[in-house]
Formats: sequence, structure tokens, C-alpha cells
Amino acid sequence: MIPFNLVRAESLEEALDLLDRQPPDVKIIAGGTDLLVELRSLSPREKGPGIVLDITPIDELKGIEDNGSTITIGPLTTHREIAASPIIREHAPLLSTACSTIGATQHRNIATIGGNVINGSPAADSVPALIVLDAEAVFKSKNGERVSPLKEIFVKPYRTDIKEDEILTALRFERLPEGARSSFIKLGRRNALAISRMNIAVIIVLEGNTIVEARISPGSATPLPDRIKAAEKILIGNEPSEELFRRAGKEVSGEMINRSGIRWSTPYKQPVIAALTTRALREAVEKR
Amino acid sequence: MKKITLKITINGRKHTLRIDPNLRLLDLLRDELRLTGTKEGCGIGECGACTVILDGRAVNACLILAGQCNGREVVTIEGLTGKDDLHPLQQAFIDHGAVQCGFCTPGMIMSAAALLDQNPTPTEEDIREAISGNLCRCTGYTQIVEAIQAVADDN
Ligand SMILES: Cc1cc2nc3c(=O)[nH]c(=O)nc-3n(C[C@H](O)[C@H](O)[C@H](O)COP(=O)(O)OP(=O)(O)OC[C@H]3O[C@@H](n4cnc5c(N)ncnc54)[C@H](O)[C@@H]3O)c2cc1C
Ligand code: FES
Ligand code: FES
Repeated sequence: MIPFNLVRAESLEEALDLLDRQPPDVKIIAGGTDLLVELRSLSPREKGPGIVLDITPIDELKGIEDNGSTITIGPLTTHREIAASPIIREHAPLLSTACSTIGATQHRNIATIGGNVINGSPAADSVPALIVLDAEAVFKSKNGERVSPLKEIFVKPYRTDIKEDEILTALRFERLPEGARSSFIKLGRRNALAISRMNIAVIIVLEGNTIVEARISPGSATPLPDRIKAAEKILIGNEPSEELFRRAGKEVSGEMINRSGIRWSTPYKQPVIAALTTRALREAVEKR
Repeated sequence: MKKITLKITINGRKHTLRIDPNLRLLDLLRDELRLTGTKEGCGIGECGACTVILDGRAVNACLILAGQCNGREVVTIEGLTGKDDLHPLQQAFIDHGAVQCGFCTPGMIMSAAALLDQNPTPTEEDIREAISGNLCRCTGYTQIVEAIQAVADDN
């Protein structure tokens, strides 16, 4: 492992002070399941961070709160905690499902949702779920607070717009409305098959038997996480049917090609993402 | 690199140590404390050979810095038993032929021990899920699942 110094922050203030003083040289560590793999891959001749800043002792960055309408998740909350949370299971069940598919038990016990988001992998499983929940990200620095729709923080694969002196301090979203149904499906539970890390998150809201709202976000399909509005439009105002869900699935795969172009993996991914979308919509309607 | 102070309880014993800041928990256990029961396979979180129990939960010791374990409690395979007798999981692994080369065994047993602490009566599905982050290249998983199931059945 390359050399670095370790600072264990006991409070958010202490962590922000350090980031304010020495921004370029500091790297935050939470669960470490992405960062330590990355640091380990550096050869001794490469330059690593001078300081690794451990934020895991900071209690105010942990836990899940529900004020009756908005749910706020601290970035240090682990995937295990989110998967098991009664609040999330009740008001955002697809996020609980998404977090339960991440890695193995050993990873979910320490890996955090904040790390999953800021690492910026197109395959990050919590992200499509958060995107359809229309989540916001809250950042803090010495200079104050910045709130951004989550979707807008992603600049390119493995890069978000977080500033060097900022810490992600919360992820928050509204509870799903009455009548909303949701589903998250991931292909291949483990990451042994790298190509099959595609996933899909959907929410639909029904009034009577008519879809009045739809949100769809595929993972590992587009360069940047996003909702696929064209597919959502197909659903809105219509009654759920297999034929309708197939059309929406086709639209998602078409949009994937528009955004990512044709690649070596396209002949595989195109039918798969269409089928996953159709299946997720079907599952969402059949639930409850 | 500036050395840091680490207070940590390992297998019930309290330690206060001065360590390098870039040490992983795995390096601390194996190289500094000579607890070599915990194995290093991949070093990148894929194989589970380094599984230990941290504050009651199974984690990969290759994916956590020793310095992040300040004030916390670690149990390794060495800490599962008293001096002489085997832990029921260890005995069951022998009885069910769940050990061949043995490299994965400490990690498997720690994952199983963490599971049984949380859930003394797991289903087969629970068992398979709990060891899904532990790879075995020799035995095949059937005997391993049977061994864990046998201990669960005695609970
Ligand atoms: C074997 C294996 C399997 C995996 N399987 C999956 C999988 O199935 N699905 C999946 O989505 N991921 C998977 N991962 C990736 C990883 O476990 C997740 O991305 C995890 O959520 C990262 O969280 P962490 O707390 O460990 O992050 P860390 O490694 O601590 O941090 C990741 C990045 O985020 C930054 N960071 C962390 N917290 C903050 C914060 N609060 N503010 C600012 N910056 C921050 C760090 O500086 C670093 O750049 C896997 C990893 C491994 C090793
Ligand atoms: S050595 Fe830690 S998971 Fe392989
Ligand atoms: S017994 Fe050899 S790897 Fe499992």
C-alpha cells in the first residue's frame, strides 16, 4: 500500500477545517470498499493522497430520518442499514432492494451509500433508485451548504462535481405518494459477470387503473444516470398492459443507444435492458 | 508517514498500538500480531478469505484500514475458541468434509459465525447468502452449507 497519513475526524467541523486548509492533497474515506481497492492498485511510484481523511467517526453523518414527508439519509449509512430500515422499506422499498443487492454481506456491512454515490460508477446500484426518487444531494464546506438534484452532480463516469473542500452530508427525497408502486431489478446478483451489472429502477403511480406518473432509470446503460422521459411518456395516461410495458422497454433500449452509441456490448445490452424494464414495470404493478 | 495510536480489542484482549497509518486491518492481524489464521487471497474484497468479525458483523479485513478500527472490537478465527476445544462450526466443517486445502476455511467460518450470532436458525438460503462473499476453489459449497446447517440445527 502506498504511504499516506491518516486523520480521523471526530466532528464534521474538524473534517471541513482540514479540507479547507489542504484541499488537493486530501482524500475522504468512508467504508473504503472502493477507495482501498483504488489505492492498492497504485504503484509506489505513483502519487497517492498525502492525507486520507476518515469520516466514519462522525455520528451526524449516519442514520435515516423521516419527518413525515421527507426522508433524509446520512452518507455514512451502510447498505445493510438501508436494506433493513423499516422507514425505507415502507416509503422507498426499491432503494432497500437496490442496497440489498450490493456486493456481499461483508461489503454491505461497511460500504456506505455516500461512497456509492460519490464514487460515480455507472454501475452503482443505489443510484438509479435514488434518481427515480428524485433525490437531492446536500454538500457542506467551510463556506456553507450546497443542495443539488442528485442527477446533476454526475459529470462523467467515476466523476461527480463535488468540490475539493466539500463533504456529501445528506441524501434526501420525498416519501413515495399513496398509490405509488416501485421496483428495482438487477441482473446477476454478484459481479462475477461484469457485463451483466445492468439494473433498472421504476416507480409508477396509479389512479384507478390509469398510470398518472412514471419514473424510469436504468443503471449501467447510459454514460450518466438519468430518467428516461421518453419511455415515461409512453406510460402516462394509459392503463397498465404487457404491450404498453414492452413499448416502454423498447424506448429505454433505444434511448440507451442514442446516448451511448453502438458498442461491442450493444447486441447484448439492447434486448436485456428492454426486457428488464418490462419486467420491472410488470413487477411494480403486481406488487400490493 | 506519521504513526498513529490505535486502541483495539482483538479476541477479547485490549491492545494499544502505534501503527503505520496505511496499514490495513489484515496487515495488522497477520504481520504485526501474527494472527495468521486470517488469510489474504485477492486483497480486493472479492474472495472473503480475510473475513473477520468487527463489532459483531462480518467484514473483509483487506478493505478496512486498521486505523479505522479505533475503539472497536475484532474477532478472528483464533478468537472463536478456547485453547483446546474446537468451535462447533470448526468441528462441523471437519465432520462434513467441508475442508480441503483449507485456505478459504477461516473466512467461511467467520462468515458463518457472524450469521449464526445474528440468526441462530437460518434457512439454507440465508446460509448461501451469508457465504456468497466467500469463494472456495476446492470443496464445493454443498458440504460447507451442510456443515453450517448442522450447527444451526443444534441451536
Ligand atoms: C467485491 C466488491 C463488490 C462490489 N459490488 C458492488 C455492487 O454489487 N454494486 C455496487 O453498486 N457497488 C459495488 N461495489 C462497490 C462499493 O462497495 C460501493 O460503491 C460502496 O457503496 C462504496 O462505499 P464506501 O463507503 O466503501 O466508499 P469509499 O471507498 O470509502 O469511498 C468511495 C469514494 O467516495 C468518496 N466519499 C465517500 N464518502 C464521501 C462523503 N460523505 N463525502 C464526499 N466524498 C465521499 C471517497 O473519497 C471515494 O472517492 C463493490 C465493491 C467490491 C470491492
Ligand atoms: S483477501 Fe480480502 S476479500 Fe480476498
Ligand atoms: S478448501 Fe480450498 S479454497 Fe476452500
